[in-house]
Amino acid sequence: MFFKRFLCSHTAAARRRHHHGKQWSVKQVTNSNFSEALPEIKACIFNSDFVAVSLQKTGGHSATWQRILPIDTAETAYMKVKDAATRFQILQFSVCPFSVKGSKVIAHPFNFHVFPRDELKVGMPSYSFSCQSSYLTSMAREGFDFNACIYNGISYLSKAQESAAKIQTGNLSPVNGAVEPSSVYSVADTIFMERIESRVKNWIRACKDSNKTEVADALISSLRKLVAGSEVFGSRPSLTIDVCSERQVPLVIEALKEFVDVVPLHVTAKGVGVQAVRAVLTSSKEDKTLLEKEIQDTEHEQRKLVRGFREVIDLISTSQRPVVVHNSLYDLALIHSKFQAPLPSTMDEFKNSLLSLFPHTLDVNHLMKEIGPFDKMNNVQAALSYLERRFSAPIDMDISNQAEEPENTNTHGHNVLRVCQLFVKLCSILKIPLEFPEGERITQLAPSLQRTSNTFSSKVHTADDDGVGIRSGNSEKVSTDNLVFLWGLKNRKSSRNLKNLICDSYNVLSEEFDVRMLDRTCAVVVFWNAGVLDRFLGMVEGSGGEGLRCARYNTYRRVCESGLWKADLAECFDETLDESETLSRTEAKLEESVIYWNDDEMINLDDL
Amino acid sequence: MKANQLVRVITRTRIRIRTRTTSPFIRCLCSSAPSPPPGADAALKNVTKPNFEPALAELRRHVREADFVSIDLEMTGVTSAPWRESFDFDRPDIQYLKIKDSAEKFAVVQFGVCPFRWDPLSHSFLAHPHNFYIFPRQEIPGDGLSNEFLCQTSSLEFLAKYQFDFNKCIYEGISYLSRSQEEEALRQLDSLYNDNSGYSSSNSRNDADAQLVRMADILFTERMKYTVSEWRAGLLHEGNTGSGFRGSLNTMNQTFQTTFFQMRPALVLNGLSSRQLRLIKLVTEKDFKDLAYVHVTGENSVAQKLIVYTDSTSDRDLLMSEVKACQKKDSLVKIKSAIGFRHVIDLLSSEKKLIVGHNCFLDLAHVYSKFFGPLPLTAEEFVSAVRKYFPNIIDTKVLINSNDELFLLMRKGSTSLSKAFGVLCPPIGPGGTSSDVAGKPRVKVEVQVDDQRFSNWNSGAKHEAGYDAFMTGSVFSQSCRNLGIDFNSVLNLPQNEKLQKYINHLYLSWNNKDIIDLKTGKILVESLGSNNNTSTKRRNPKFVFSNTVLLWGPPSKLRAKDIRDCVCKVFGVGSIVSICHLDETAAFVQFSKEELVSDFLELKDSLEREKNSPVSILHPLSKILEGGFVRAANYEMYKDICGSSLSQVLFAEQAEVVASNPKAGVVKLAVEVDSYYPNELLSDSCMK
Repeated sequence: MFFKRFLCSHTAAARRRHHHGKQWSVKQVTNSNFSEALPEIKACIFNSDFVAVSLQKTGGHSATWQRILPIDTAETAYMKVKDAATRFQILQFSVCPFSVKGSKVIAHPFNFHVFPRDELKVGMPSYSFSCQSSYLTSMAREGFDFNACIYNGISYLSKAQESAAKIQTGNLSPVNGAVEPSSVYSVADTIFMERIESRVKNWIRACKDSNKTEVADALISSLRKLVAGSEVFGSRPSLTIDVCSERQVPLVIEALKEFVDVVPLHVTAKGVGVQAVRAVLTSSKEDKTLLEKEIQDTEHEQRKLVRGFREVIDLISTSQRPVVVHNSLYDLALIHSKFQAPLPSTMDEFKNSLLSLFPHTLDVNHLMKEIGPFDKMNNVQAALSYLERRFSAPIDMDISNQAEEPENTNTHGHNVLRVCQLFVKLCSILKIPLEFPEGERITQLAPSLQRTSNTFSSKVHTADDDGVGIRSGNSEKVSTDNLVFLWGLKNRKSSRNLKNLICDSYNVLSEEFDVRMLDRTCAVVVFWNAGVLDRFLGMVEGSGGEGLRCARYNTYRRVCESGLWKADLAECFDETLDESETLSRTEAKLEESVIYWNDDEMINLDDL
Repeated sequence: MKANQLVRVITRTRIRIRTRTTSPFIRCLCSSAPSPPPGADAALKNVTKPNFEPALAELRRHVREADFVSIDLEMTGVTSAPWRESFDFDRPDIQYLKIKDSAEKFAVVQFGVCPFRWDPLSHSFLAHPHNFYIFPRQEIPGDGLSNEFLCQTSSLEFLAKYQFDFNKCIYEGISYLSRSQEEEALRQLDSLYNDNSGYSSSNSRNDADAQLVRMADILFTERMKYTVSEWRAGLLHEGNTGSGFRGSLNTMNQTFQTTFFQMRPALVLNGLSSRQLRLIKLVTEKDFKDLAYVHVTGENSVAQKLIVYTDSTSDRDLLMSEVKACQKKDSLVKIKSAIGFRHVIDLLSSEKKLIVGHNCFLDLAHVYSKFFGPLPLTAEEFVSAVRKYFPNIIDTKVLINSNDELFLLMRKGSTSLSKAFGVLCPPIGPGGTSSDVAGKPRVKVEVQVDDQRFSNWNSGAKHEAGYDAFMTGSVFSQSCRNLGIDFNSVLNLPQNEKLQKYINHLYLSWNNKDIIDLKTGKILVESLGSNNNTSTKRRNPKFVFSNTVLLWGPPSKLRAKDIRDCVCKVFGVGSIVSICHLDETAAFVQFSKEELVSDFLELKDSLEREKNSPVSILHPLSKILEGGFVRAANYEMYKDICGSSLSQVLFAEQAEVVASNPKAGVVKLAVEVDSYYPNELLSDSCMK
């Protein structure tokens, strides 16, 4: 059945390849070849200097106002991203370890199909997820194979989920390595160990006896087993030795060393740590090694089932390689929420937590801003062709998966290569060195990269105060105190209409403010002068009746924090205000109250 | 026997998983399927975007002639959170809210429609199973709201297990517009083309001036002004060819090309950004009285921006109104064609045929919310709205469970669709080959797929909506025979007196066996049949909603044993009737008396007010309340929480958001539900 489907996918892929001019081949990884791909990608990551990642997800934002807008501070932007990253799902995860040698990029692209299948039947990793049909349709346009993804995608558990799952399922794990034999044993310890020894001795004798005397009464032998606490592990007899505390575990292990044929196993359960030691009796030395291998294999299998795709994230994390991302805030939030733990409630906590996962993240978008004001260059392809036209920085992509037979490669996951290419191109234009002398990698990023590392930009320049992204004439710093949100408009209006309306009804000069619609129900008004703003607020509140309502930035913040992601912003405002019934004008100052007002970035309903 | 074991309900999906694993038939997933398998195993009639029009035309004919039409749906999920599953302690109004939530959140990916017609000549039914792949693609520009739906991971895995073709669904699925979406789109269209009729109002010009602040914009505008006037001058002077002009413009990256539009010379604008186009529009409107900037959809539906030369102002106005009318017509056509799959639903509704489904209340809720409009807030309103569109509905699950004879045939076991099909339609379904079903002759069902006719059809593709619809219809026809309905007399099934007991009765929730009467909106308190099926009987203890307190908080604080111990210390040994867990973060505590509910809530409040007083610290209840971490409310709060449009996975998280935003999506019902349904609901024993 899989065979049949594969044939179909391949024909489709072949057709698509035809359309593509470039013959970049990306290694496609699904559940069936994941085990083989893992050591491969491990070697690639550790042999490379950088790792680029790119995600294909099921959605971005549910309503116009829920995307990150220029009026968002880092905190509100994070709230929006947090909600989206929790609800939507990653279906495809491309990873491309790469190094730069001169003008040559040596890249090893891998494309993983990911699906949150409940492999362990524990209701994880994800009970449900949202899809935006527009995202799925555009994935379809690129030839994405949904069947391959859902039937054969790699599942995973986040770190947090894994520890929860351990508690739920209980686990048997082999005793790793030599346990330090404690030099000092108390009298009680010695007695305990002697008791264990004699118990095990009896048990072994009983096992060997029952093997010999076949005529032994079944009832008696089973009774004897019951008394001795004997069980069966696979085909071999085993004995569970309960312990009162973790401290007794090494004692039991020490006592079991006496018996060469016995393999000790930890029994962990219900989050109490090691609960007991299970001794398994083997018949010979060969049998013992066989058992040890068996246990190792099952453990490996289990780990693969539990962690799944997360192994790749862990590899990137332990390699400490800088991670190159485009559109970093959303993608990193997704990675954090799916593979690490649920997203923390504040941006700062998120940054800290992410730092422990990836010490260096480099945002290509952010680098773009070093070159110039390309705020609309959210599309990697567009940015690439823009650079192609403006700068001469030839980059030679050397894709190293060519050895693969063509059946296993197709055009999925090309975006990660473009991210790679864009990054290297930008660095070469900005004269940032990317080559690392042998043995010196990672310890030191180039200073210019160091500066941009770990700054999450999305469309907004929020993160830092050193003024990255301010270009005169393009965007202006505006304090959040100067913003007023306006809703309750009777008819749908364009921002131009609304501006005229405000000019006429409230006697404000059109030079004193600007208006943009945030969605069909709500507008934001920016006043260049706080005095005018206060006068305006007073008038709107005074006029009452007409249904026009307004709120200041703190209310917007509360809307984002409330977790009520309604389709219409006005509805959210109404609910948030009703809750407090006050339009407080003396709310505490925001810690981070500067945003950048940029005419170009505002959405215009006329465009929609 | 864990005390805090979850009371879980077997959802419809899960029932299916268990009962229909008998013959995992391999369905060909290739969209370009090879030659259809010959004989009885003919493939199902799959309908996707490319063959929708002809299939619809054919279906119209079949439905018109049909005696009844059976339907079945496949969805992307059933419950949006574990606690949204159906529980024994759900009052009917809450059951409806849960169904409403499910229908609003999940998408329908496959819709099976199977018209059945009695053929008196061959003494058999003729069935035309259709399997529609549908997908909520956004075909017309919305108003900033995205088409979004939820997928339940386990449901997708289930569909995958039966080789559902997701590619076919997403690539080629038929999209749709509900009636209210269509109305909204038409309203928008009207307002768009009526509002700014004066296209060159002086108002917008003033604003245009104000917009030119950037140096780059001013330069671009000046350059465009020059280019356009050069073109215009070229037209006027060189008349027929305009070759000189073309030469000079071609150097500008072929951005401009001369063409003709509505018999007038025009300039095509290519490869400009939307901002640049806006500027050009401003320049054209401001500086050239005889030029018009228009936005048209070309022959191969490619959007084009043109500057058109007109003879006079009146000619320009004429052109503009022509363009506008044309645009409006185009948009109208687009909206009409976006209706898509709803044509099928409209057909079923307008033909007023008997609709047959299997446990189909959720299916109906999906049909309503996808193809008519937003679901009403109460079950009564919903039922009366459905009646307008589908006056006659029969549920085969109700039929089988309520009729003694049929129920006996099931050997008192499961009444899942595939089981019923196996028992009632043996030669087709797996199970037997007898030609009788309980002494009644078997109803022959012939199947027509395209032009082929089969007397023993079995596509084998279980959980394909089309095949499930066929099974449902077959079960229904055999049930009719067993009820003693004569197909050869004039067949008017909805009026048939033998069906009157069952028609328009649906399970609101199979778990609770609450049957809702579509005619009245009332819940039937006693079961339909005279039989006393053990499975439809409720078991003790009684669940009295008004005696119940809802607790939520950290899982460690909500162990049933702890709760029982603490509460019994305070209110006496017999004070608790039962404790049922919703999930690990929430539980219902049912007291023996209604007063105890308010006593408990008041005591809890006072303990929390004086958090640090010795009385509070030493009070037995403090052990579970933990100074405010555990919250409590009465049963009505549960309704508010279920009515919210949010769906957090853990109940406690959901409850926190709803409790802290009192108006958040809470459904306020006008009807006091308790008054017509006075605490009859009994509950399974939840304490294990």
